Amino acid sequence: MREFEYVQATDVSQAVAAVTGDPATSYLAGGTTQIDLMKDGVLGPDRLIDITRLPLRGITRSDGAIRIGALTTMEELAADLTIMERLPVVREALLLGASTQLRNMATIGGNLLQRTRCRYFRDITCACNKREPGSGCSALEGFHRMHAILGTSEHCIATHGSDLAVALVALDAIVHVRGLNGERAIPLTEFYVVPGDTPQVENVLAHGELITAVEVLLLPEDARSGYLKVRDRVSYEFALVSAAVALVMEDGVIREGRIGLGGVATLPWRAYRAEEVLRGRPAQTDTFQAAAEAALEGATPHRDNAFKVELAKRTVVRALSTTAGEDS
Amino acid sequence: MTVETVRMVGPPVDRVDGPLKVTGAAHYPADFSFPNLAHAVLVQSTVAAGRIRRISTRLAESAPGVLAVITHEIAPRLGRGPTTSLGVAPPPPLQDDRILHHGQHIAVVVAETPEQAAAAVRLLEVDYELTEPLLDLDDPQAERITNPSWRDIHRGDAGAALASAEVRVEATYTTATETNNPLGLFATIAAWEGDTLTVHDTTQWPYNVRATLAAAFGVPEDRVRVIAPFIGGAFGAGLRTWPHVVLAALAARWVNRPVKLVLNRAQMFTSVGYRPSSVQHLKIGATHTGELVALDHESIEPLSLEDNYLEGLTRATPLLYECPNVTTRQRQVRLNVACPTWMRGPGEAPGVYALECILDELAYELNMNPLEVRLRNYAETHPQSGLPWTSKGLRACYEQGAERFGWSRRTAEPRSMREGRMLVGLGMASAYYPYFQFPTQARATLDRAGTALVRSAATDIGTGTYTIMTQVSAEVLGLPIDRVRFELGDTTMPPAPQQGGSNLAASLGSAVHAACMKLVQAFLDVVRDDPGSPVQGCSLEDVTVADGRISRADAPERGEEYTDILERHGLAELTADGESAIRQDLDLAPGIFGAKFAEVHIDPDLGLIRVARIVAAIDGGHILNEKTATSQIIGGTVGGIGMALLEETVSDPRTGRIANATFGDYLVPVNADVPDIEVIFVGEAEPLNPLGVKGVGEIAIVGVAPAIANAVFHATGQRIRSLPITLDQLL
Repeated sequence: MREFEYVQATDVSQAVAAVTGDPATSYLAGGTTQIDLMKDGVLGPDRLIDITRLPLRGITRSDGAIRIGALTTMEELAADLTIMERLPVVREALLLGASTQLRNMATIGGNLLQRTRCRYFRDITCACNKREPGSGCSALEGFHRMHAILGTSEHCIATHGSDLAVALVALDAIVHVRGLNGERAIPLTEFYVVPGDTPQVENVLAHGELITAVEVLLLPEDARSGYLKVRDRVSYEFALVSAAVALVMEDGVIREGRIGLGGVATLPWRAYRAEEVLRGRPAQTDTFQAAAEAALEGATPHRDNAFKVELAKRTVVRALSTTAGEDS
Repeated sequence: MTVETVRMVGPPVDRVDGPLKVTGAAHYPADFSFPNLAHAVLVQSTVAAGRIRRISTRLAESAPGVLAVITHEIAPRLGRGPTTSLGVAPPPPLQDDRILHHGQHIAVVVAETPEQAAAAVRLLEVDYELTEPLLDLDDPQAERITNPSWRDIHRGDAGAALASAEVRVEATYTTATETNNPLGLFATIAAWEGDTLTVHDTTQWPYNVRATLAAAFGVPEDRVRVIAPFIGGAFGAGLRTWPHVVLAALAARWVNRPVKLVLNRAQMFTSVGYRPSSVQHLKIGATHTGELVALDHESIEPLSLEDNYLEGLTRATPLLYECPNVTTRQRQVRLNVACPTWMRGPGEAPGVYALECILDELAYELNMNPLEVRLRNYAETHPQSGLPWTSKGLRACYEQGAERFGWSRRTAEPRSMREGRMLVGLGMASAYYPYFQFPTQARATLDRAGTALVRSAATDIGTGTYTIMTQVSAEVLGLPIDRVRFELGDTTMPPAPQQGGSNLAASLGSAVHAACMKLVQAFLDVVRDDPGSPVQGCSLEDVTVADGRISRADAPERGEEYTDILERHGLAELTADGESAIRQDLDLAPGIFGAKFAEVHIDPDLGLIRVARIVAAIDGGHILNEKTATSQIIGGTVGGIGMALLEETVSDPRTGRIANATFGDYLVPVNADVPDIEVIFVGEAEPLNPLGVKGVGEIAIVGVAPAIANAVFHATGQRIRSLPITLDQLL
């Protein structure tokens, strides 16, 4: 039986030092993904530093921004009044992202760092470049209906599973990180990296760097936003496709649009090209269709997930038109 | 004495085992324990075909807590279980080095704790000699079995009738592999004392487990005791005694300690069967006015390389409608896959799906109401034998189901109904399942406290067996329900058959009925010459029973309590045994029937399909308990929604590894997928058994998937002939 040491951290600096100094030591927050991966033998840390008692929990609103402590739970964030009123896209992504039980345990920092649901990553009898670099990608030849069509490489087509991150990436959220050498702030749009030929690297964090908070600028008061998650069953499933959208409109013309895509990419995907298409154009179906086309440019579907290209376009159109209030 | 079954639907008595279950006091197999219990974990093949060149067990054996690692190299020869009414037993495990499917058990690790055993499993090194697996139904290398059970039907001349039919429809339907996936992980605890074996097991048939383990280890059957008072569901997966049960007993014998073995969720996909996928070619011929003239149904399904199972996909086709010319052909293809098994509604759930869809296609071809096509071909007698039905309430199912559902609201054209943005579709299907009844025994005892204990080694897989058998006993004995205790799930009790194929209500109910009748008779026998008894010299026909009293039918004030009789005669209790006997005197054909109506709402852009409403009209004969029977139908309907829209066990095309063996990846309906379900019971008492019951477990799921598939066509005009119907097929 694989044994590990469990330590409860009481101090942020000590926790950061403990993890940074030892490649076999990991943080433990809500544990809703990590414990599963340990049971399945995907992760095997020698030591877990439980950070759930660190003072990194809570939501503070300052002028025009909201700062979310990394240990705030998904449920706490979903219930926040500012989020409800000003950032409905975040609230919807949270509520569609996990069951109540999970939302009560899972933290915002942990949510951003969750590992892919790719079955080949999670089954240690399968080859997986993300789990074991150089071993191959079983998903390419295997069953990959749930897998990515954007940001893929010949080494990895696993999707990033977070709904929340899709909304946050569309909102230009900032991740605050503490390392041995102090703090730094990373735009979420630059936080994740595509797999390329190093799919084991999923973000720009160095080992031991700890997410302390996520900061989100509030949308203008008259902005609208929403999250649409498309999946086979009504609840309790990861997205086939999801779209987080935000629109600032003036007299029916889009001043600014934001589009994040989930379920289709190896990381929470920001559709910049589509946003350019929206800018300055009337909020109507042909605009949304043009944006959807731009959003899926360069998609590389595989045998089982080819339908996602068309589904993603339709999802973008629906999310935009619903958010624009064009239809019910 | 006659037992009144005039009410077609019995009272909605609460589950007698409900309080035990909700307080955690009900013991499921894995809840039992023994002193000095050790734990076993299975090791499964990670390839689909070949042989094991070598298993290196050294590292695992020296891991902390490990007691034994048993492989084919050291396992003893094990006997194969007996062939039963359900067919052959699975071949015993670990008997040679061949790998026949991915997930095959190749070793078992026994340790002090389950965690230690699981950790040691990862230390085994297996060297395989690989061969190319047979994984595709179309693989020309694969062995094909024609007419496997000699049940292909050739009635009239379907070929000629099709050729000359005024209207002809031809289509191929496919259904997905589905995994039974009961919530309760299958568990076995085995404890030997010398040559005596006690086993707690997740089973739908304790006596079969007993016989199989006795054969495996060469011990007399009466030395094996199998106990299963509660199991966490099974849906058919517990009908056979699978190799892991034998391995648990083997492990216990090997380490000379009691051993517990619990399958994990992934192992549930490869160890206890599944519903095989199917390809079904159908041809249907009819007149312009909708009379069927020909049906041709060919089914193809996969089978494991060894072992046997036949789904029975074409079984209902010659029986459901009047049609002079019918041909059915069953085909199987042997592949490197685990052996399939019965899953709720076996045979008919996927077979009637295909039949009911092509009938729907015919209706559109004829521009007729789909319900009218069914009524026009209503089989007044059993179409194959020509015998009258024992009872058939299908017409009432159609009429009352359509009425409740509002079928007349349906507009004929596909894509003609909308609700806001959503396309609305209405679909219906007939349902049929065969009636089964097997020999069963029960024993009833009544004691000085005036309480009855009734026992039989059956199981209650969650269907309500405890409750309905308590009701039957109470009714026949004339006792309040709370004076009756019904016990099951133990081979020290009289033998009972499998709880499968919806037979148990009829089989066990008949035995319980007989035992309780005989018990009343036993009381009359005691007082036959007792001048102190008001019922002296009475026969069963002369008395009535109620509230613990036995009274003269012609003078109800003249009676006495059962306990008075026991006391006066110095008896502690009286006991009687009863058997289920199938009536042989009726030249009639039985059947269980239903009609299912479904409404779907479909997002035309995103392809999202939501079932909005289902009405299930059921002829299950006499319904013993409205509440538990309704729950059965609701549960089966949810299973039908899963079959129609969600459930599919996917294998890697190259390796045969199951690619979605988790509850996150194998989708079953969640509450949010389940709409309002209305259940209507119709029909008459079934004359083949004294309770008038038919059974409702299987009919619950049959017909749901085609009703939904037909509704999807009505909503969209797109005919999807492959289950599950998913949004990508509608884009």
